[in-house]
Amino acid sequence: MKLLRRFRSIPVSYRVPVLVALLMVVISAAISERVLDRLSRTQESFINGLAETYLDGLSSAVVPAVLRADVWEVFDALDRSSASYKSLAPIETVVTGSDGRVLAASDPNRIATYSELSADYLNRYGPDVVTIDKSKLTGFAHRDLVYQGQPIGTIHATFDVSHLFAERREILVTLLVTNGVLAALFALGGFVLVRQMIGPMRVLEDHMRSAAHGAAEPIPPREIPAGDSEVAGLFRGYNALVHAERERANLAMQLAEEEKLSSLGRLASGMAHEINNPLGGLFNALDTLKTHGETPGVRDTSISLIERGLAGIRDVVEAALATYRPERSQRPMTAADLDDVSLLLQPELRRKRQRLDWSVAWNGARELPIRGGPVRQAVLNLLLNASAVTPEDGTVSLKAMSWEDRLHIEIADQGCGMPADIAGILIDQDPGPAVRAGRGLGLWMVRRVVDDLGGRASIAAKRGGGTAVTLTIPFDREDAKAHAA
Amino acid sequence: MSNLGNPCRATDGVPITRRDLIAAVVSGAATLFAPVALRAEDESFKFGLTPVFLSNDLELLGHLRSYLSAKIGGHIELVTRRTYQEITALLVSGQIQSAWICGYPYVQFKADLDLVATPVWHGQPLYQSYLIASAGRKVDDWTGLEGDVHAFSDPDSNSGFLVTRALLAENRQLPGRFFARNFFTYGHRNVIRAVASGLAQSGSVDGYVYEVMRETEADLVKQTRIVRKSEWLGFPPIASPKSVSNDRRVKALQQALISMQDDDDGRKVLALLRLDGFVATDPSLFDAIAAKVETVRQFG
Repeated sequence: MKLLRRFRSIPVSYRVPVLVALLMVVISAAISERVLDRLSRTQESFINGLAETYLDGLSSAVVPAVLRADVWEVFDALDRSSASYKSLAPIETVVTGSDGRVLAASDPNRIATYSELSADYLNRYGPDVVTIDKSKLTGFAHRDLVYQGQPIGTIHATFDVSHLFAERREILVTLLVTNGVLAALFALGGFVLVRQMIGPMRVLEDHMRSAAHGAAEPIPPREIPAGDSEVAGLFRGYNALVHAERERANLAMQLAEEEKLSSLGRLASGMAHEINNPLGGLFNALDTLKTHGETPGVRDTSISLIERGLAGIRDVVEAALATYRPERSQRPMTAADLDDVSLLLQPELRRKRQRLDWSVAWNGARELPIRGGPVRQAVLNLLLNASAVTPEDGTVSLKAMSWEDRLHIEIADQGCGMPADIAGILIDQDPGPAVRAGRGLGLWMVRRVVDDLGGRASIAAKRGGGTAVTLTIPFDREDAKAHAA
Repeated sequence: MSNLGNPCRATDGVPITRRDLIAAVVSGAATLFAPVALRAEDESFKFGLTPVFLSNDLELLGHLRSYLSAKIGGHIELVTRRTYQEITALLVSGQIQSAWICGYPYVQFKADLDLVATPVWHGQPLYQSYLIASAGRKVDDWTGLEGDVHAFSDPDSNSGFLVTRALLAENRQLPGRFFARNFFTYGHRNVIRAVASGLAQSGSVDGYVYEVMRETEADLVKQTRIVRKSEWLGFPPIASPKSVSNDRRVKALQQALISMQDDDDGRKVLALLRLDGFVATDPSLFDAIAAKVETVRQFG
């Protein structure tokens, strides 16, 4: 298994040639085995045939001489036959008479005439006509000489079969070399082919890798292979994907911009409303002052009215400034940030006659080591969403609580629950798909703020209906230390 | 190289019996063929050859036939047989007019045969019989060959059998006792091959054949050595049956052989045979061989 895993970790451009070579080795081994087996049978049958022919020829030549125990004639026949059967390569031939004694041997110096053959010598001859001793590269054949049904002697022939084994070796070497060369060629061919095949995949891989790092670039047309329709199709598909992604990103930015403008418009109209409301009272107070300004009671009341009205206008303007001016967003968070959010929300709540449950459990510190601007933005977005989904006369709630080294903020509504794909923007590991669908851009801003601050969001359904979104935002570490100090 | 020496195949090594038999055949044949003897001149002249040739049989036969044909006239038929005994039988029975035979059959059928000519080798119509052994063998004289497996050439050969047998008889020995085993190879060249190969430890061989083979097959002969040379004995002669002694062609044959060295074809034949020529010799040349026959006969 380990070996298999290690093998799988080898690049495919090397793995395929290795597999091809291995396959060739297996195939060549099987073929070689078959060829050699067949060759061995053919050789055996050939050598059997040759030996039979040799023994037949010799038998007919020596039988009359053996009958007469004519030593010279037997020797002469052996001598002549050794030249006639060169293809059998006889090493030694011995003819014995009916008494088992040697009549003549092809080499009388080794085996003397009239001597008896040793048991070892006779044991070399098996029951078959031909016995081959592979270790000595020698073949042994024997034939009983029979005349008129009577055994009159035996021919023992020893012949050299080394050429058969040499031929086998030669064929084996030829097979090995040929198959080795073929395997190498196939492996090389496989390597080149695979490199060529996965070349476009590498181009695609490079582009996808750079896309993963944020720079999705289409594959240039010159790199799209003209002849390979599959790869060209793949490349064009990838390019279409890149283009679609770019369009979607542009659209998302555009939508985000529109959403921003839209919430800005709502806020602006809320602010205008907020400013407009006291304006009527202020003009009335001014008219009263013009008409009855001399009356001390009326004058004081009117001035007080004007003063409170202007103070309200000032508060609204300050809250808007605090929320939307970037240079202020880096400030540490204070309770006033949440108060500003409440103030900015008031016009929307009033419009929908909604109530706001407000619970802020601060730990007594004047400010928290969290950047205030982004939190205000996120909380305002969540509250505006909560207000939007809560029916008229409903209640929107905010609970803020600092705990040890983090801040918990729960915003709850009385809506009909948050769809899963929208909720995904806040809580999924990858908010991409929901965002790319072009929905919930306000929530996407919240997610970015939460991610940016290193916090997390959770969503829970409330018992009496509605949804509670909880943001948990850790204190900045450096600031937290300073704060603790 | 053809077979050398006398390849007689008969193994009934009892000369008396065979001689009687052939003599009976001869006397019968003489009676039977008497009426047709008048027509002998019309028939081709048949010359029997035992294969004592040394090399290129066909070349030798061609030259010999053309030479004899030119000298004798008419058609010459060269008769070859595998065995010495066959040629002897044909000759003694008068079926062939002349033949080159061995000294041993000649003395056996001396009464029925006329000597035509005898080859001259090294200036004399004589040759020797050799006892040979393998080259590496340490043996001082013939007695050291006791207990050998011995190869004889032919039971009808003087040099290849009779000489050795007579030597043993003179020393009160028999081949079957002196040698552990013995066999016949039916050819002088075969005796040399048998000894050279180790098939036999020693052999009896024609000295003429042995010496000539020193030139023609030196590698084979080198594997052997001479243990004993016999005394000089009459060279195997050319003989004809007495029944054709009146045939003109027999005289012509004798003249042709004796004058062979005066003719180109004749010299070619002599060169192939490594002989100096032929001479007419007295039958007494073969008395030494006859004495050996007698020695053997007496010893049994």
